[in-house]
Amino acid sequence: MNKIKVITGLMFSVLIATIFTQSCTTSKMIEQKSGAQLWGENCIRCHNMPSPADFTDVQWATIGLHMQDRVNLTDAEAKKIVDFMKSAN
Amino acid sequence: MIRKIILLILVMGIGKSYAQDTKEPQNDGTATEVVTPPKEEKSHFMLRGFAQFGLDASSDNVEFNMTSFNPVILYRQGDRFLFESELEMEYMSNEFSLNLGYASASYIITKGVTVKVGKILIPFGEFGEKLHPSWVNRMADAPLGLGHDGGMLPMADIGVELRGGLQMGKSKLSYSIYCVNGPRLKDGTMGQEEAGMLSWENMNDNNKNKALGARIGILPLSNSSLEIGFSGYYAKPGNSTSPYAGDSMNMDLNYKDVTALLTAIDLSYVKQIAPLKGVIDIKGQYNMSDVSNATYLKPGDTNRLTNRYTFTNSSTAYYAQLAYRPTMAGNKILKNIEVVGRYSVYNTPVGSLWESTQSQISLGLNYWFSWRTVLKVGYQMSDGVPAGMSGMSMGGASMSSMSTSTVNTFQIHLAMGL
Repeated sequence: MNKIKVITGLMFSVLIATIFTQSCTTSKMIEQKSGAQLWGENCIRCHNMPSPADFTDVQWATIGLHMQDRVNLTDAEAKKIVDFMKSAN
Repeated sequence: MIRKIILLILVMGIGKSYAQDTKEPQNDGTATEVVTPPKEEKSHFMLRGFAQFGLDASSDNVEFNMTSFNPVILYRQGDRFLFESELEMEYMSNEFSLNLGYASASYIITKGVTVKVGKILIPFGEFGEKLHPSWVNRMADAPLGLGHDGGMLPMADIGVELRGGLQMGKSKLSYSIYCVNGPRLKDGTMGQEEAGMLSWENMNDNNKNKALGARIGILPLSNSSLEIGFSGYYAKPGNSTSPYAGDSMNMDLNYKDVTALLTAIDLSYVKQIAPLKGVIDIKGQYNMSDVSNATYLKPGDTNRLTNRYTFTNSSTAYYAQLAYRPTMAGNKILKNIEVVGRYSVYNTPVGSLWESTQSQISLGLNYWFSWRTVLKVGYQMSDGVPAGMSGMSMGGASMSSMSTSTVNTFQIHLAMGL
Protein backbone atom coordinates (compact mmCIF):
# COMPACT_ATOMS: atom_id res chain seq x y z
CA MET A 1 0.00 0.00 0.00
CA ASN A 2 2.82 2.38 0.93
CA LYS A 3 4.56 1.60 -2.37
CA ILE A 4 1.45 2.56 -4.28
CA LYS A 5 1.25 5.86 -2.40
CA VAL A 6 4.91 6.61 -3.05
CA ILE A 7 4.56 5.77 -6.75
CA THR A 8 1.43 7.92 -6.93
CA GLY A 9 3.23 10.80 -5.28
CA LEU A 10 6.15 10.52 -7.66
CA MET A 11 3.93 10.38 -10.72
CA PHE A 12 1.98 13.37 -9.51
CA SER A 13 5.17 15.35 -8.88
CA VAL A 14 6.54 14.56 -12.32
CA LEU A 15 3.31 15.60 -13.98
CA ILE A 16 3.10 18.85 -12.04
CA ALA A 17 6.72 19.60 -12.95
CA THR A 18 5.94 18.85 -16.60
CA ILE A 19 3.02 21.21 -16.56
CA PHE A 20 4.97 24.04 -15.02
CA THR A 21 7.74 23.52 -17.55
CA GLN A 22 5.29 23.59 -20.42
CA SER A 23 3.45 26.57 -18.96
CA CYS A 24 6.55 28.64 -19.54
CA THR A 25 6.41 28.02 -23.28
CA THR A 26 4.11 29.79 -25.65
CA SER A 27 0.63 28.42 -26.10
CA LYS A 28 0.14 30.04 -29.48
CA MET A 29 -0.52 26.65 -31.01
CA ILE A 30 -3.34 26.14 -28.53
CA GLU A 31 -4.78 29.58 -29.17
CA GLN A 32 -4.86 28.94 -32.90
CA LYS A 33 -6.83 25.73 -32.64
CA SER A 34 -10.16 25.89 -34.44
CA GLY A 35 -13.51 24.88 -32.99
CA ALA A 36 -13.60 21.92 -35.38
CA GLN A 37 -10.25 20.67 -34.12
CA LEU A 38 -11.27 21.06 -30.49
CA TRP A 39 -14.57 19.29 -31.22
CA GLY A 40 -12.60 16.37 -32.64
CA GLU A 41 -10.17 16.24 -29.75
CA ASN A 42 -12.48 16.71 -26.77
CA CYS A 43 -15.85 15.08 -27.47
CA ILE A 44 -14.23 11.76 -28.29
CA ARG A 45 -12.62 11.57 -24.87
CA CYS A 46 -15.91 10.18 -23.51
CA HIS A 47 -18.26 9.51 -26.41
CA ASN A 48 -18.46 9.42 -30.19
CA MET A 49 -18.42 12.74 -31.96
CA PRO A 50 -21.89 14.20 -32.49
CA SER A 51 -22.88 15.73 -35.78
CA PRO A 52 -23.42 19.50 -35.68
CA ALA A 53 -26.71 18.87 -37.49
CA ASP A 54 -28.11 16.90 -34.56
CA PHE A 55 -29.07 20.01 -32.61
CA THR A 56 -30.16 23.58 -33.19
CA ASP A 57 -28.12 26.64 -32.25
CA VAL A 58 -30.08 27.12 -29.04
CA GLN A 59 -29.65 23.50 -28.09
CA TRP A 60 -25.92 23.62 -28.80
CA ALA A 61 -25.59 26.58 -26.42
CA THR A 62 -27.23 24.54 -23.66
CA ILE A 63 -25.27 21.37 -24.43
CA GLY A 64 -22.04 23.36 -24.60
CA LEU A 65 -22.60 24.75 -21.13
CA HIS A 66 -23.51 21.29 -19.88
CA MET A 67 -20.34 19.74 -21.32
CA GLN A 68 -18.12 22.57 -20.16
CA ASP A 69 -19.36 21.87 -16.66
CA ARG A 70 -19.20 18.08 -16.89
CA VAL A 71 -15.69 17.63 -18.26
CA ASN A 72 -14.13 20.95 -17.24
CA LEU A 73 -13.54 22.33 -20.71
CA THR A 74 -11.77 25.66 -20.63
CA ASP A 75 -13.88 28.71 -21.49
CA ALA A 76 -12.07 29.16 -24.78
CA GLU A 77 -12.59 25.53 -25.76
CA ALA A 78 -16.28 25.57 -24.94
CA LYS A 79 -16.87 28.81 -26.83
CA LYS A 80 -14.97 27.68 -29.93
CA ILE A 81 -16.68 24.28 -30.02
CA VAL A 82 -20.18 25.75 -29.62
CA ASP A 83 -19.49 28.41 -32.26
CA PHE A 84 -18.32 25.70 -34.64
CA MET A 85 -21.36 23.51 -34.00
CA LYS A 86 -23.67 26.46 -34.61
CA SER A 87 -21.88 27.40 -37.81
CA ALA A 88 -21.84 23.85 -39.17
CA ASN A 89 -25.35 22.63 -38.35
CA MET B 1 -47.71 8.57 -8.22
CA ILE B 2 -44.67 7.46 -10.21
CA ARG B 3 -46.71 7.48 -13.40
CA LYS B 4 -47.84 11.03 -12.66
CA ILE B 5 -44.25 12.17 -12.11
CA ILE B 6 -43.09 10.59 -15.37
CA LEU B 7 -46.03 12.04 -17.28
CA LEU B 8 -45.40 15.49 -15.81
CA ILE B 9 -41.73 15.39 -16.80
CA LEU B 10 -42.49 14.28 -20.33
CA VAL B 11 -45.20 16.90 -20.80
CA MET B 12 -42.97 19.63 -19.39
CA GLY B 13 -39.93 18.60 -21.37
CA ILE B 14 -41.53 17.92 -24.74
CA GLY B 15 -43.91 20.86 -24.51
CA LYS B 16 -41.30 23.35 -23.44
CA SER B 17 -38.62 22.11 -25.85
CA TYR B 18 -41.08 22.16 -28.73
CA ALA B 19 -42.29 25.60 -27.84
CA GLN B 20 -38.88 27.12 -27.52
CA ASP B 21 -37.03 25.30 -30.24
CA THR B 22 -39.60 26.13 -32.89
CA LYS B 23 -40.15 29.78 -32.07
CA GLU B 24 -38.47 31.92 -34.67
CA PRO B 25 -38.85 35.65 -35.15
CA GLN B 26 -41.54 36.21 -37.77
CA ASN B 27 -40.82 38.69 -40.48
CA ASP B 28 -43.76 39.77 -42.58
CA GLY B 29 -41.58 41.71 -44.93
CA THR B 30 -42.57 45.19 -43.79
CA ALA B 31 -39.72 47.67 -43.55
CA THR B 32 -40.87 49.08 -40.23
CA GLU B 33 -40.69 45.88 -38.22
CA VAL B 34 -38.02 45.74 -35.57
CA VAL B 35 -36.72 42.21 -35.10
CA THR B 36 -35.65 41.70 -31.53
CA PRO B 37 -33.35 38.88 -30.52
CA PRO B 38 -35.49 35.88 -29.61
CA LYS B 39 -35.85 35.43 -25.87
CA GLU B 40 -35.17 31.73 -26.16
CA GLU B 41 -31.53 32.59 -26.79
CA LYS B 42 -31.33 33.69 -23.18
CA SER B 43 -32.94 30.68 -21.60
CA HIS B 44 -33.57 27.20 -22.81
CA PHE B 45 -35.05 23.97 -21.51
CA MET B 46 -34.08 20.54 -22.81
CA LEU B 47 -35.06 17.01 -21.99
CA ARG B 48 -32.36 14.49 -22.77
CA GLY B 49 -31.06 11.36 -21.08
CA PHE B 50 -30.37 7.76 -21.87
CA ALA B 51 -31.89 4.31 -21.73
CA GLN B 52 -30.69 0.73 -21.88
CA PHE B 53 -32.65 -2.45 -22.41
CA GLY B 54 -31.28 -5.92 -22.71
CA LEU B 55 -31.05 -9.61 -22.16
CA ASP B 56 -28.75 -11.35 -19.69
CA ALA B 57 -28.35 -15.10 -19.95
CA SER B 58 -26.39 -17.33 -17.58
CA SER B 59 -26.57 -21.03 -16.84
CA ASP B 60 -29.07 -20.32 -14.06
CA ASN B 61 -31.16 -17.55 -15.52
CA VAL B 62 -32.27 -15.93 -18.74
CA GLU B 63 -33.83 -12.55 -18.27
CA PHE B 64 -34.93 -9.54 -20.25
CA ASN B 65 -34.34 -6.38 -18.30
CA MET B 66 -34.49 -2.65 -18.48
CA THR B 67 -31.29 -1.69 -16.78
CA SER B 68 -31.80 2.04 -17.11
CA PHE B 69 -34.12 4.78 -18.23
CA ASN B 70 -32.67 8.06 -17.09
CA PRO B 71 -34.28 11.29 -18.26
CA VAL B 72 -31.95 14.28 -17.88
CA ILE B 73 -33.37 17.77 -17.58
CA LEU B 74 -31.23 20.72 -18.66
CA TYR B 75 -32.22 24.32 -18.12
CA ARG B 76 -29.90 27.09 -19.24
CA GLN B 77 -30.43 30.66 -18.15
CA GLY B 78 -28.14 33.03 -19.98
CA ASP B 79 -24.58 32.00 -20.71
CA ARG B 80 -23.50 31.18 -17.19
CA PHE B 81 -26.31 29.46 -15.32
CA LEU B 82 -27.27 25.82 -15.79
CA PHE B 83 -29.63 23.56 -13.88
CA GLU B 84 -29.44 19.86 -14.59
CA SER B 85 -31.07 16.83 -13.08
CA GLU B 86 -31.14 13.13 -13.76
CA LEU B 87 -33.85 10.72 -12.72
CA GLU B 88 -32.81 7.10 -12.45
CA MET B 89 -35.53 4.62 -13.29
CA GLU B 90 -34.75 0.94 -13.11
CA TYR B 91 -36.87 -2.13 -13.48
CA MET B 92 -35.00 -5.25 -12.54
CA SER B 93 -36.00 -8.49 -10.87
CA ASN B 94 -39.64 -7.42 -10.62
CA GLU B 95 -38.76 -4.24 -8.82
CA PHE B 96 -39.14 -0.71 -10.07
CA SER B 97 -37.05 2.00 -8.49
CA LEU B 98 -37.05 5.73 -9.04
CA ASN B 99 -34.17 7.77 -7.69
CA LEU B 100 -32.87 11.26 -8.09
CA GLY B 101 -29.44 10.69 -9.62
CA TYR B 102 -28.44 14.30 -9.28
CA ALA B 103 -30.00 17.75 -9.32
CA SER B 104 -27.61 20.66 -9.33
CA ALA B 105 -27.30 24.28 -10.31
CA SER B 106 -24.04 25.56 -11.80
CA TYR B 107 -22.88 29.11 -12.26
CA ILE B 108 -19.73 30.19 -14.08
CA ILE B 109 -18.21 32.76 -11.73
CA THR B 110 -15.32 33.62 -13.97
CA LYS B 111 -13.05 31.93 -16.51
CA GLY B 112 -12.10 28.55 -15.17
CA VAL B 113 -14.23 28.72 -12.03
CA THR B 114 -17.72 27.24 -11.81
CA VAL B 115 -19.64 26.87 -8.58
CA LYS B 116 -22.14 24.07 -8.28
CA VAL B 117 -24.70 23.39 -5.56
CA GLY B 118 -27.30 20.73 -4.97
CA LYS B 119 -27.12 16.99 -5.29
CA ILE B 120 -23.96 16.74 -7.34
CA LEU B 121 -22.26 13.87 -9.11
CA ILE B 122 -19.11 13.22 -7.13
CA PRO B 123 -16.00 13.63 -9.28
CA PHE B 124 -14.20 10.73 -7.66
CA GLY B 125 -12.29 9.04 -10.43
CA GLU B 126 -13.68 9.30 -13.91
CA PHE B 127 -16.24 6.55 -14.27
CA GLY B 128 -18.91 7.74 -11.85
CA GLU B 129 -19.16 11.24 -13.18
CA LYS B 130 -18.38 11.00 -16.87
CA LEU B 131 -18.66 7.42 -18.07
CA HIS B 132 -21.68 6.00 -16.26
CA PRO B 133 -24.39 6.79 -18.87
CA SER B 134 -25.19 3.58 -20.71
CA TRP B 135 -24.57 5.09 -24.15
CA VAL B 136 -21.13 6.35 -23.02
CA ASN B 137 -20.09 3.19 -21.17
CA ARG B 138 -18.66 0.74 -23.72
CA MET B 139 -19.74 -2.25 -21.66
CA ALA B 140 -23.26 -3.27 -20.68
CA ASP B 141 -22.64 -2.67 -16.99
CA ALA B 142 -20.33 -0.87 -14.59
CA PRO B 143 -16.98 -2.27 -13.47
CA LEU B 144 -17.03 -4.20 -10.20
CA GLY B 145 -17.25 -1.90 -7.19
CA LEU B 146 -18.07 1.20 -9.22
CA GLY B 147 -21.78 0.72 -9.81
CA HIS B 148 -24.72 2.17 -7.94
CA ASP B 149 -25.51 -1.11 -6.24
CA GLY B 150 -23.02 -2.15 -3.62
CA GLY B 151 -20.26 0.06 -4.96
CA MET B 152 -17.47 1.27 -2.71
CA LEU B 153 -17.36 4.81 -4.13
CA PRO B 154 -19.47 7.93 -3.71
CA MET B 155 -21.68 8.56 -6.73
CA ALA B 156 -23.72 11.62 -5.76
CA ASP B 157 -24.24 13.68 -2.63
CA ILE B 158 -25.63 17.01 -1.47
CA GLY B 159 -23.20 19.86 -1.12
CA VAL B 160 -21.21 22.51 -2.92
CA GLU B 161 -18.43 22.24 -5.50
CA LEU B 162 -15.92 24.46 -7.25
CA ARG B 163 -14.59 23.22 -10.56
CA GLY B 164 -13.14 24.24 -13.86
CA GLY B 165 -10.59 23.74 -16.58
CA LEU B 166 -7.44 25.77 -17.02
CA GLN B 167 -5.04 25.97 -19.94
CA MET B 168 -1.46 25.78 -18.73
CA GLY B 169 0.85 26.15 -21.67
CA LYS B 170 0.21 23.20 -23.92
CA SER B 171 -1.22 21.17 -21.05
CA LYS B 172 -4.55 21.44 -19.32
CA LEU B 173 -5.60 21.14 -15.74
CA SER B 174 -9.04 19.98 -14.70
CA TYR B 175 -9.96 20.45 -11.05
CA SER B 176 -12.92 19.79 -8.77
CA ILE B 177 -13.10 20.55 -5.06
CA TYR B 178 -16.22 19.77 -3.10
CA CYS B 179 -17.78 19.64 0.34
CA VAL B 180 -20.74 17.30 0.83
CA ASN B 181 -22.71 15.60 3.62
CA GLY B 182 -20.65 12.46 3.29
CA PRO B 183 -21.24 8.76 3.93
CA ARG B 184 -22.70 7.05 6.94
CA LEU B 185 -20.92 4.20 8.71
CA LYS B 186 -23.01 1.11 9.04
CA ASP B 187 -22.34 0.28 12.69
CA GLY B 188 -24.20 -3.00 12.69
CA THR B 189 -27.31 -1.89 14.53
CA MET B 190 -29.45 -2.12 11.37
CA GLY B 191 -27.78 -5.18 9.88
CA GLN B 192 -24.84 -6.77 11.61
CA GLU B 193 -23.61 -8.48 8.46
CA GLU B 194 -22.76 -5.06 6.97
CA ALA B 195 -20.95 -3.60 9.99
CA GLY B 196 -18.11 -1.34 8.87
CA MET B 197 -19.51 -0.68 5.41
CA LEU B 198 -20.03 2.85 4.15
CA SER B 199 -23.50 3.88 3.07
CA TRP B 200 -23.50 6.56 0.37
CA GLU B 201 -27.18 7.32 0.04
CA ASN B 202 -27.67 9.84 2.83
CA MET B 203 -29.94 12.75 2.19
CA ASN B 204 -29.71 13.68 5.86
CA ASP B 205 -26.32 13.91 7.51
CA ASN B 206 -25.78 11.88 10.67
CA ASN B 207 -23.24 14.24 12.20
CA LYS B 208 -21.82 17.75 12.00
CA ASN B 209 -18.84 16.70 9.92
CA LYS B 210 -18.71 17.32 6.22
CA ALA B 211 -16.86 15.20 3.70
CA LEU B 212 -14.18 16.93 1.66
CA GLY B 213 -12.93 15.76 -1.67
CA ALA B 214 -11.06 16.80 -4.75
CA ARG B 215 -10.01 15.52 -8.12
CA ILE B 216 -7.14 16.91 -10.16
CA GLY B 217 -7.02 15.86 -13.77
CA ILE B 218 -3.90 16.52 -15.81
CA LEU B 219 -3.98 16.50 -19.59
CA PRO B 220 -0.30 16.75 -20.46
CA LEU B 221 -0.65 16.40 -24.24
CA SER B 222 -1.74 19.35 -26.34
CA ASN B 223 -4.38 17.28 -28.14
CA SER B 224 -6.13 16.35 -24.86
CA SER B 225 -5.91 12.64 -25.68
CA LEU B 226 -4.42 11.67 -22.33
CA GLU B 227 -5.87 12.47 -18.93
CA ILE B 228 -4.52 11.26 -15.62
CA GLY B 229 -6.65 11.96 -12.59
CA PHE B 230 -5.94 11.89 -8.87
CA SER B 231 -8.86 11.81 -6.45
CA GLY B 232 -9.07 12.08 -2.68
CA TYR B 233 -12.03 12.00 -0.31
CA TYR B 234 -12.05 12.32 3.47
CA ALA B 235 -14.98 11.91 5.83
CA LYS B 236 -15.91 11.05 9.38
CA PRO B 237 -18.88 8.79 8.77
CA GLY B 238 -19.82 7.74 12.31
CA ASN B 239 -22.80 8.91 14.32
CA SER B 240 -21.99 11.68 16.78
CA THR B 241 -23.39 9.56 19.60
CA SER B 242 -23.02 5.89 20.42
CA PRO B 243 -25.72 3.73 18.82
CA TYR B 244 -25.67 1.70 22.02
CA ALA B 245 -26.38 4.58 24.39
CA GLY B 246 -28.46 3.18 27.24
CA ASP B 247 -27.13 -0.34 26.70
CA SER B 248 -24.86 -0.83 29.69
CA MET B 249 -23.16 -3.80 28.04
CA ASN B 250 -22.09 -2.01 24.89
CA MET B 251 -22.34 1.72 25.48
CA ASP B 252 -18.53 1.98 25.23
CA LEU B 253 -18.80 1.24 21.50
CA ASN B 254 -18.66 4.57 19.75
CA TYR B 255 -17.97 5.40 16.12
CA LYS B 256 -17.77 9.19 16.14
CA ASP B 257 -14.00 9.21 15.58
CA VAL B 258 -13.99 6.70 12.74
CA THR B 259 -12.47 8.19 9.60
CA ALA B 260 -12.73 7.22 5.96
CA LEU B 261 -10.08 8.06 3.38
CA LEU B 262 -10.63 7.17 -0.24
CA THR B 263 -8.11 7.67 -3.00
CA ALA B 264 -8.12 6.90 -6.69
CA ILE B 265 -6.03 7.18 -9.80
CA ASP B 266 -7.72 7.18 -13.16
CA LEU B 267 -6.38 7.20 -16.67
CA SER B 268 -7.93 7.85 -20.02
CA TYR B 269 -6.29 7.78 -23.44
CA VAL B 270 -8.42 8.18 -26.54
CA LYS B 271 -6.87 8.81 -29.90
CA GLN B 272 -7.50 8.14 -33.55
CA ILE B 273 -4.40 6.39 -34.79
CA ALA B 274 -3.94 6.39 -38.55
CA PRO B 275 -1.80 3.22 -38.85
CA LEU B 276 -4.48 1.35 -36.94
CA LYS B 277 -7.21 2.98 -39.04
CA GLY B 278 -9.31 3.62 -35.99
CA VAL B 279 -9.80 4.93 -32.49
CA ILE B 280 -8.09 3.42 -29.49
CA ASP B 281 -9.88 4.03 -26.20
CA ILE B 282 -8.06 3.06 -23.01
CA LYS B 283 -9.67 3.62 -19.62
CA GLY B 284 -8.64 2.60 -16.16
CA GLN B 285 -9.26 3.44 -12.53
CA TYR B 286 -7.73 2.17 -9.28
CA ASN B 287 -9.65 2.91 -6.08
CA MET B 288 -8.72 2.40 -2.45
CA SER B 289 -10.91 2.83 0.60
CA ASP B 290 -9.46 2.90 4.11
CA VAL B 291 -11.82 3.18 7.06
CA SER B 292 -10.17 3.34 10.47
CA ASN B 293 -10.50 0.32 12.69
CA ALA B 294 -13.50 0.02 14.97
CA THR B 295 -15.06 -2.67 17.11
CA TYR B 296 -18.36 -4.24 16.13
CA LEU B 297 -20.68 -6.83 17.65
CA LYS B 298 -20.89 -10.38 16.36
CA PRO B 299 -24.38 -11.42 15.37
CA GLY B 300 -26.08 -13.83 17.73
CA ASP B 301 -23.36 -13.70 20.38
CA THR B 302 -24.36 -12.20 23.72
CA ASN B 303 -21.22 -13.16 25.61
CA ARG B 304 -19.51 -9.95 26.62
CA LEU B 305 -16.10 -11.60 26.35
CA THR B 306 -16.46 -13.02 22.85
CA ASN B 307 -19.07 -10.97 21.06
CA ARG B 308 -16.76 -8.31 19.65
CA TYR B 309 -14.52 -8.26 16.64
CA THR B 310 -12.54 -5.86 14.54
CA PHE B 311 -10.83 -5.97 11.16
CA THR B 312 -8.70 -3.87 8.86
CA ASN B 313 -11.37 -2.02 6.96
CA SER B 314 -9.70 -1.61 3.56
CA SER B 315 -11.26 -2.21 0.17
CA THR B 316 -9.93 -1.94 -3.35
CA ALA B 317 -11.62 -1.86 -6.72
CA TYR B 318 -10.02 -1.38 -10.08
CA TYR B 319 -10.59 -1.88 -13.75
CA ALA B 320 -8.79 -1.58 -17.05
CA GLN B 321 -10.58 -1.33 -20.36
CA LEU B 322 -9.47 -1.30 -23.96
CA ALA B 323 -11.71 -0.53 -26.91
CA TYR B 324 -10.95 -0.26 -30.61
CA ARG B 325 -13.18 0.96 -33.39
CA PRO B 326 -11.97 1.04 -37.02
CA THR B 327 -13.49 4.42 -37.79
CA MET B 328 -11.25 4.90 -40.82
CA ALA B 329 -12.19 1.60 -42.47
CA GLY B 330 -13.65 1.82 -45.94
CA ASN B 331 -16.50 -0.57 -45.20
CA LYS B 332 -19.54 1.21 -43.78
CA ILE B 333 -20.52 -1.65 -41.49
CA LEU B 334 -17.01 -2.35 -40.29
CA LYS B 335 -16.43 1.26 -39.25
CA ASN B 336 -19.42 1.05 -36.91
CA ILE B 337 -18.15 -2.01 -35.09
CA GLU B 338 -16.22 -1.72 -31.87
CA VAL B 339 -14.46 -4.41 -29.89
CA VAL B 340 -13.94 -3.92 -26.19
CA GLY B 341 -12.44 -5.82 -23.29
CA ARG B 342 -12.44 -5.07 -19.59
CA TYR B 343 -10.91 -6.60 -16.50
CA SER B 344 -12.19 -5.53 -13.11
CA VAL B 345 -11.59 -6.58 -9.52
CA TYR B 346 -13.34 -5.76 -6.25
CA ASN B 347 -12.00 -6.81 -2.85
CA THR B 348 -13.78 -6.03 0.41
CA PRO B 349 -12.14 -6.16 3.87
CA VAL B 350 -10.69 -9.45 5.06
CA GLY B 351 -12.30 -10.44 8.35
CA SER B 352 -15.49 -8.49 7.85
CA LEU B 353 -18.85 -10.19 7.52
CA TRP B 354 -19.07 -8.76 4.01
CA GLU B 355 -15.67 -10.00 2.98
CA SER B 356 -15.56 -10.92 -0.66
CA THR B 357 -13.18 -11.06 -3.53
CA GLN B 358 -14.45 -10.80 -7.07
CA SER B 359 -12.89 -10.55 -10.48
CA GLN B 360 -14.45 -10.24 -13.87
CA ILE B 361 -13.38 -10.45 -17.49
CA SER B 362 -15.78 -8.88 -19.96
CA LEU B 363 -15.52 -9.07 -23.72
CA GLY B 364 -17.81 -7.09 -25.96
CA LEU B 365 -18.70 -6.41 -29.56
CA ASN B 366 -20.59 -3.18 -30.12
CA TYR B 367 -22.39 -1.94 -33.19
CA TRP B 368 -23.00 1.81 -33.38
CA PHE B 369 -26.19 2.71 -35.25
CA SER B 370 -25.43 6.36 -34.63
CA TRP B 371 -23.04 8.29 -32.42
CA ARG B 372 -25.35 7.75 -29.43
CA THR B 373 -27.16 4.47 -30.14
CA VAL B 374 -25.32 1.20 -29.69
CA LEU B 375 -26.06 -2.50 -29.60
CA LYS B 376 -23.74 -4.20 -27.12
CA VAL B 377 -23.13 -7.93 -27.29
CA GLY B 378 -20.99 -9.18 -24.46
CA TYR B 379 -19.69 -12.23 -22.66
CA GLN B 380 -18.75 -11.89 -19.03
CA MET B 381 -16.80 -14.30 -16.85
CA SER B 382 -17.11 -13.53 -13.14
CA ASP B 383 -15.19 -15.31 -10.39
CA GLY B 384 -15.30 -14.79 -6.67
CA VAL B 385 -16.40 -15.64 -3.21
CA PRO B 386 -19.57 -13.68 -2.56
CA ALA B 387 -20.04 -11.40 0.41
CA GLY B 388 -21.08 -13.05 3.66
CA MET B 389 -18.80 -16.07 3.15
CA SER B 390 -15.98 -14.83 5.36
CA GLY B 391 -14.04 -16.95 7.75
CA MET B 392 -16.00 -15.80 10.79
CA SER B 393 -19.39 -16.41 9.25
CA MET B 394 -18.25 -19.80 8.02
CA GLY B 395 -17.14 -20.94 11.44
CA GLY B 396 -13.52 -19.99 11.11
CA ALA B 397 -12.75 -21.39 7.68
CA SER B 398 -10.47 -19.10 5.73
CA MET B 399 -11.61 -17.74 2.43
CA SER B 400 -8.66 -19.24 0.65
CA SER B 401 -9.91 -22.68 1.58
CA MET B 402 -13.30 -22.08 0.02
CA SER B 403 -14.01 -22.73 -3.62
CA THR B 404 -14.77 -19.74 -5.75
CA SER B 405 -17.92 -19.58 -7.79
CA THR B 406 -17.81 -18.82 -11.50
CA VAL B 407 -20.68 -17.26 -13.40
CA ASN B 408 -20.58 -16.78 -17.15
CA THR B 409 -23.11 -14.36 -18.59
CA PHE B 410 -24.08 -13.57 -22.14
CA GLN B 411 -25.44 -10.07 -22.63
CA ILE B 412 -27.25 -8.23 -25.40
CA HIS B 413 -28.08 -4.62 -24.59
CA LEU B 414 -29.33 -1.70 -26.62
CA ALA B 415 -28.28 1.69 -25.24
CA MET B 416 -29.53 5.00 -26.50
CA GLY B 417 -28.58 8.55 -25.73
CA LEU B 418 -31.85 10.46 -25.89
